[in-house]
Amino acid sequence: MPSLLSLESITVRGRTQPRLDGVSLQLEPGERVALLGPSGAGKSTLIAVANGLLAPDHGQVRWQGEPRARSRRARRRQQARIGTLWQDLRLIEELTVQQNLNAARLAAWGWPRALLNLLLPLDTPACAEVLQRLDLDPALLNQPVSALSGGQRQRVALARLLRQEPLLLLADEPLASLDPRLAADLLTLLLELAGPPRGLLLSLHRPDLLTGFDRVVGLRDGRLVFDQPCASLDPGQLEALYAGAEP
Amino acid sequence: MRPAAPLWVLLPALVLLPVLALLPGISHGGGWELVGQFAAAALQPSPDPLVLRSVLGGLGVTAGIALLGWAGSLVLGLGLGIASSRVVWRTCTGSAAPAGWIRRLLALPRSLHELLWGLLLLQLVGLQPEVAVVAIAIPFGALVARVVSDLLDTLPTASLEALRSGGAPAPAALLTALGPPLLPQVISYSGYRLECALRSATLLGVFGLGGLGTELRLTLQSLAFRELWTGLWLLLLLMLLLEALLGWLRRRWAMPARLGLRQRSVGRQARELVAAGLALLPLLAVVAWQLEVEPAALLQWQGLPPLGPSDWGAVAALPWPGLIANTVLLTVLAAALAVGLAPLLLLVVAPWPIGGALVRGLWALGRLWPPPLTALLLLFVLQPGVLTGALALGFHNLGILGRLLLEATETTGAHQQQALLAAGGGPRLALLYGRFSGLARPYLAYGAYRADVILRESVVVGLVGATGLGSQLLEALSSFAGDQLLALVLAYALLTLLGEDLSDRARLWLLETPHGDGHPQEAGGAWR
Repeated sequence: MPSLLSLESITVRGRTQPRLDGVSLQLEPGERVALLGPSGAGKSTLIAVANGLLAPDHGQVRWQGEPRARSRRARRRQQARIGTLWQDLRLIEELTVQQNLNAARLAAWGWPRALLNLLLPLDTPACAEVLQRLDLDPALLNQPVSALSGGQRQRVALARLLRQEPLLLLADEPLASLDPRLAADLLTLLLELAGPPRGLLLSLHRPDLLTGFDRVVGLRDGRLVFDQPCASLDPGQLEALYAGAEP
Repeated sequence: MRPAAPLWVLLPALVLLPVLALLPGISHGGGWELVGQFAAAALQPSPDPLVLRSVLGGLGVTAGIALLGWAGSLVLGLGLGIASSRVVWRTCTGSAAPAGWIRRLLALPRSLHELLWGLLLLQLVGLQPEVAVVAIAIPFGALVARVVSDLLDTLPTASLEALRSGGAPAPAALLTALGPPLLPQVISYSGYRLECALRSATLLGVFGLGGLGTELRLTLQSLAFRELWTGLWLLLLLMLLLEALLGWLRRRWAMPARLGLRQRSVGRQARELVAAGLALLPLLAVVAWQLEVEPAALLQWQGLPPLGPSDWGAVAALPWPGLIANTVLLTVLAAALAVGLAPLLLLVVAPWPIGGALVRGLWALGRLWPPPLTALLLLFVLQPGVLTGALALGFHNLGILGRLLLEATETTGAHQQQALLAAGGGPRLALLYGRFSGLARPYLAYGAYRADVILRESVVVGLVGATGLGSQLLEALSSFAGDQLLALVLAYALLTLLGEDLSDRARLWLLETPHGDGHPQEAGGAWR
């Protein structure tokens, strides 16, 4: 079985020094990988390369063993299988919860359904199901996103991710601005959702939250510092990773 | 069933269906060759030094008229705006009532388009350079006054009350409490008015009030397309330079954007601001001297042409319902075309960067090209009538709305759009869902305001027999029918005041944001 995602010596140029410098990384189906590193290490850049928003200057990105598609349509089909949870959630405030959930299907839908979604509630059973999986009341479907509480929004963003039916979940510091209880809840949910055949690549700013991950990757100044099972990580490595930097 | 925000933005484009269905009926196809020649001439403007000299001279006059008219409108507008502000009257005298009376008085000069002012003044004082300047200054001044007083009356008054209760005299308290928040808004808005003034000065020229517009019309009518394009390209250059300069200043001084939803803080760089203001004064003096503007000449009225005996029976016999219906129809069609086409075109070209550049170019031409000239050009292939006038007005306003929409898309919803792109949503749907959702309300509110402007503007396509109040008015003007003229001007004023009221209501309704970060008062005032 091919790797879900493989990054082969990825380099992304920056203004003064490369944002990523020859980074290689493999992600297998079912694997949960944590990405650690001080701010400015290149974690967000790596996530952007992984979800296709950023094309690397050098190196190859392979999705399920295939190089990134040339044609626009095929590339969109690849991107549709990669779901990203954004730190600022990026929900569309003016739309209802259901419309937001369905926005995750735009890659699969053509114009007619995309327009219809703005007029009528579409695919209600599927939308209700993802809400229930996240312990949200299906009655929320008709609510505008702007009317939700912080915790509800967090879960709706996750529900949207599920609705996209991705094989790879990416998350760029999703816990950064949350209080400890919400952060722990969200992490548990994410780890749960990332069961096989899905994979998870999540960037973290706190090394104390590594329980539940299979592998941990350390990044500093755009370079890969370590890539190993969580169990074999020793405190000295962490100290070296963050040495002289704001954690 | 309630359409969601992004759909609202697309709904006005439905007007294309009847328009496209009706177009074959009014086309006569006689002049496609001429239209082809016109388009081909764009690539080979005349390099003749004689043409160039006359175009540059005309452009100078147009720019001068715009600058002087604009400066006059600012002085008038600031003064009258303060004089018609409720909070100023309440603070100074304890009663806000006089503000309401002055506001009502100002509605009349505002309701007439600058072209009407120009043509009326032309009758009174003859062809003088100051006619165009005053024709711009009066309606623009009344408009600036309304914006200034609206802004003043919606500013928070807590600091004003604090100063007053501390014993500060009224003028000092007003200046200290309301001046700083007002200034960036007024400066940003006046920059935008300068762009409008350049367009208006060109338009007035088309009707013979001096400057480049006159030459544009003459070269178009004599089919001298290469000479025409010499003028157009230079005018385009001037307009784009002016827009770029004003945009740069707005960003540099951190002034609020027109469709911006977030309140920006008070402008920085106070010294530069003052210096720029001071530099304007000698510039204005030089321009006035070059154009030989003499304000006193406005007081020397020429003898009016002999007016026929009043015939109010004939006035009453005018086909009023038809005139008004056609004017309203023209306005609605033009507004829907402009409001609907701008987002539609952005969606169509979303995947191609080159398409975006083309659309920008088309919009710049639309802004630059006075609607009566578009109408004349359309007459090569279409019959005169409401639809032809609406197409001409719609194209011009598409240029204005499109640019605004583009500016706003650059600052709203970038993250949402990116998220949809990353999930494979495709560039068009990502634009529609990600960016247009947040823009729908402010954009349509601006569209409502634009419809109000188009109603006033409908007089300018009266030239091509657009069969509304506008064409009847121009006819009355040229046949010296004073009684008809008076009745038509009043009808026009009433209609535009009604339109303004409707548009205000529509805007308020659209800007009642259900969620937090909108500032209706800013969005409602600053981008007129």
